[in-house]
This record gives sequence, C-alpha cells and structure tokens, in this order.
Amino acid sequence: MEEINMEGINYLTVAYLGMITALAIWTWTVVVRSRSIEARLEAVESSIGIDSSQADGIASQSTNDSQDDATV
Amino acid sequence: MRRRVPEIFLGLGFAGIMTTLYLGLNWAPSVSIDAFESPAAQRIFYWHVPSAWAAFIAFGVLFFGSAIWFFKRSPLGWRLHVAGSEAGLACGLMAVWSGCVWGAAEWGTPWDWSDIRLNTFGLLTLLALFLVLGRQSQPDGVETRDTFSTFGLYGFVLVPLTYIATRFWQIRHPGPVIAAGEDGGSLQSSMAVVLLIGALSFTIFIIGHILISMRITHLEQRLEQVQKSLDGGN
Repeated sequence: MEEINMEGINYLTVAYLGMITALAIWTWTVVVRSRSIEARLEAVESSIGIDSSQADGIASQSTNDSQDDATV
Repeated sequence: MRRRVPEIFLGLGFAGIMTTLYLGLNWAPSVSIDAFESPAAQRIFYWHVPSAWAAFIAFGVLFFGSAIWFFKRSPLGWRLHVAGSEAGLACGLMAVWSGCVWGAAEWGTPWDWSDIRLNTFGLLTLLALFLVLGRQSQPDGVETRDTFSTFGLYGFVLVPLTYIATRFWQIRHPGPVIAAGEDGGSLQSSMAVVLLIGALSFTIFIIGHILISMRITHLEQRLEQVQKSLDGGN
C-alpha cells in the first residue's frame, strides 16, 4: 500500500476545507432552523390572534405552572 | 434588527475565521524545520488553539447555565445550558479533529491515550455529545433538566484539569504558548497577531452561536406552550 504523505500544504488544505465545510453546514443549519421556527410561531400566533408579548405571557405562565407541579 | 444580532455575529465571526486561515497559510512565518517533523502542518495551530478557546467559553456557558437552572430553576439557565452544550460539542470536535490532523503529521499517530490534555479534552467533548444526544432522546421536563444540569456541573471539573494538564504533566501535547509564565512562549509577534485574530473571530462566532441557540430554545418553548394552550390542555 502506498504510504500517504502526511506533510505538505495539500494535506493541510484538505483538512482545513473539511473543517470549514463542517462549520458552514452547522451554521447554516442553525440559522435555517431559527428562521423556520420563527415563521411557524408567527403563523400560529397570527392564526389565533395573539401578539408575541401575549404569547410570552402564556409561555412563562405555563413554565411556572410546570415548575410548581414538579416541586409539589 | 435585534432578531438578526446573532446572525451578524455569526457572519462577522465566519469572515474573521476565513481571514485567520488566509493569514495563517500565506502570511504567518514558517516554523523551523529542525523543531518540527512536519512544519507545514503546524499552521493548523491557527485553527486548533482558537477553536479550543471557543470550546472553553462554551463549556463555561454550559456550567453557568447548569448552575442557574439547578439552583434557581430559571428558563434562562436552561437556555444557556442547551446553547453551551451545542457550541461546546461543535468547537470541541473542531479542536479534536484539528489536533488529530496535526498529531498524525507530527507524531505519526492521531491520538495518544497516555496524554492527560488530550484525554481530558476528549472527555469534555464526549460529555457535550452526551448532553446534546441525551436531551434529544428524553422528554423535556424538570427532572430531565435537573439530570443533565448535574452532568453539566460536575463535568466542568475537566476544564481546569485540561487547562493545567500541560503545565503539570507535559507528556506529548506541546506546552502553553500563551500565559506560559517565566518560561515564556516561543511565539513570534506575527504569529501572535494571527492567533489573536483567530481567537477574536472564534469568540465572536461562538457568541453568535450561543445567542442563536438560546433564541431557538426560547422559540421552541414558546411554540410548544402556544400549541398546548390551543389544544386547551396543560
């Protein structure tokens, strides 16, 4: 089997490209996920006729309730 | 505009990382061929050190988030825990991967099981992997959050251990080049400039990721609660 030359700029370039690609994919995935959830939430909120501050109120109230249930 | 702040951080950080790579490959001076088996591979240092630095920031956020959740039961603490574990996993994997690439070129082996620094950092990354995968496989609830926060709290002990590892037990991993004490670092000023740009870029980048991850967790919780209230049940 031919020995792989571990030295040199080509080896480094391949390693860097792999990491940059992974970093870009991760970042892109996170941004798309954020925008998608944002759009879904806006759609749900507008369909039931509440704004984001009211939705925050519901969410915090529900979080407090679930914490109270857990600590009883 | 405020909603786009994390994305601005991500964009700036990514541009900085690209600049670091360009400078690291084209501008930073080469190291002595007598000191290294593979001088070209040494340039991965401009990626490896900043990504490890960013991982430590993320693990710090994970620790504080876990503590805030565990002692205060604050939703903000849980968001920090989630963001810290995800960012810590990504940056930890980058540091481990780049270290393996360098190790394969310089030492002839990608990993040394006898080196304390390598293994404690590897364990930290595995802890982050456990937290990320574990959270996805468990239903969200106070008990689940308590369990994962406990792991986040106790796992943090590996951070100072990793930091001091090369100072007390230098086996294979190179010694510190920053805050090296009286021994001094062997870093030339132009190398230090590229490293500083890299550290700043990765810091901005990881802050962007932590902010966007916290936002996603917040939106997911909001969406879930609004859907629950729509269904009429709690």
